[in-house]
Amino acid sequence: MKVFLSLLALPALLLPLACFLYIIIQALPALNWELIVGSNTAGNLFGDAANAGHGIWSQVSGSLLMMFLACVLAAPIALSIALFHALWASPRQQRVLIILLQILQGIPPIVYGLCGLVLLVHLLHWGISLAAGGVILAVVILPLLSSNAIHALQRIPIEQTESAKALGLSVGTMITRVWFPAAWSGMLTGLLLAMARALSETAPILFTATVFSGVLWPDSIFSPVTSLQTHIFYLAQEGSNAHAVDMAWASAAVLLALVICFSLSARFLRRYEELS
Amino acid sequence: MNINTHTNIKEAKEAESCTVPAYVCLENISLTLSEKSILKEVSFSLPATGISSLIGPSGAGKSSLLRCLTNLYGNWQGVISVAGVNTHSWLGGEDALRRHIGLIAQKPSVFPASIHDNVIFGLSRKERKQDQSLRIEQCLKQAALWNEVKDRLHEAANTLSVGQQQRLCMARALALEPKVLLLDEPTASLDPHSKQLIEASLHDLAKEMPSLCVTHDLEQAQRLQGQIIFMCDGKIIETATVNDFFQSPKRLETREFLRWSVCDCD
Repeated sequence: MKVFLSLLALPALLLPLACFLYIIIQALPALNWELIVGSNTAGNLFGDAANAGHGIWSQVSGSLLMMFLACVLAAPIALSIALFHALWASPRQQRVLIILLQILQGIPPIVYGLCGLVLLVHLLHWGISLAAGGVILAVVILPLLSSNAIHALQRIPIEQTESAKALGLSVGTMITRVWFPAAWSGMLTGLLLAMARALSETAPILFTATVFSGVLWPDSIFSPVTSLQTHIFYLAQEGSNAHAVDMAWASAAVLLALVICFSLSARFLRRYEELS
Repeated sequence: MNINTHTNIKEAKEAESCTVPAYVCLENISLTLSEKSILKEVSFSLPATGISSLIGPSGAGKSSLLRCLTNLYGNWQGVISVAGVNTHSWLGGEDALRRHIGLIAQKPSVFPASIHDNVIFGLSRKERKQDQSLRIEQCLKQAALWNEVKDRLHEAANTLSVGQQQRLCMARALALEPKVLLLDEPTASLDPHSKQLIEASLHDLAKEMPSLCVTHDLEQAQRLQGQIIFMCDGKIIETATVNDFFQSPKRLETREFLRWSVCDCD
């Protein structure tokens, strides 16, 4: 029985490992330091001399920029949702809130992208822009961030909360002096996981924020931006161009490294939280 | 129901009424949680000084009663007055009420800070910025912890033993200079030495303020002296002095509880 179950579980271990190795092997021909720190490969590939370059730095920075914008927008809302859940929501409201967050997490990202295109790009006339991408990514990561913040607060021992209340501490003082010090590592873990999620999402920003070439750095928050995710998408469509495919693999390896970085940081932080 | 039972109920009600001068007075306190009746018209009073022991079997509603007194449960019915003031109209709201009534929980819960900072945790930011050495020393002495921690005040509070943490929680509550002290089985998980120290400090503190101590330990209730309040199934069954309670209990339920530590009062 043990052997049978272990054999069934084996793909869960081997598949990601195999994918990771395959991506690295495919990326090796194009992967070098110049690629990461250089700018705008797209212009080079398609004969756009004005924007020619040898790297994906503008795409990496565009992805990171959108990720940070999404986190800055979503984190305070997620925190407010978690505090409402912990402090004022009735048991019924708590149940409804959890169900809603689960539903929101289950909505396909492309649907969010479509809503962003209609509402932000067209209706509000933001155009294809960093702002539209940031807002839509914030909506995508909000349920994940909120759920993690709720769980981080739920892990605080009830005795700590009761002791704080029994000392006559106001709600604000209790939050800042008891809850936050006890829950910060859990919340930060959630934030890192949400960052990894924001970095790996392509569909929501495909219609709302990114262009393939012609942009190195957005002029303003309402300018289009390039991103690593959509860059891979566009390059992969150029199947006949061998260099483009190599570049796609190299970009995928860099994106994977970034996502793993955030996920591992979250993992280490959770371990630290458990130990402390 | 016979005449004798009628007399007992009448005597019990007289003992529970708040006609005598009392610092803390509870009248007809009822509490329902998740559609379950936890407290049923509980009435008793605490004199201005001295210890009262609240005893009864598990699930009698003793801890819930302490939570009602400090408004940690807010949906109770009835009237609680402290120093003649209805707690619902307490000046400064429930936070001020909680600073007036010190509550020491059954399970010690220190905050992730130093021993020093834990003692002054409940003080205002302004007070914490001032030198509180004297107050810290006094509170730790009152909680019988000073000699054990005086040289390590800046060490983390969670390095203390459970017994020491419980006394630290007591010092933390005392730092707010409460006028009433509520203790929820403060010695439940402690060694005999820590138990003895806490009981000794309780005796000293009770000379200055009314103290209500929830306990399962009948011997401890005897040692604490003062008033005994016996609760069962959310109701007050009997209120008496230690001697009367243990030597000549009036109610059948009390006699059964003293004999077999069970109570059947449905």
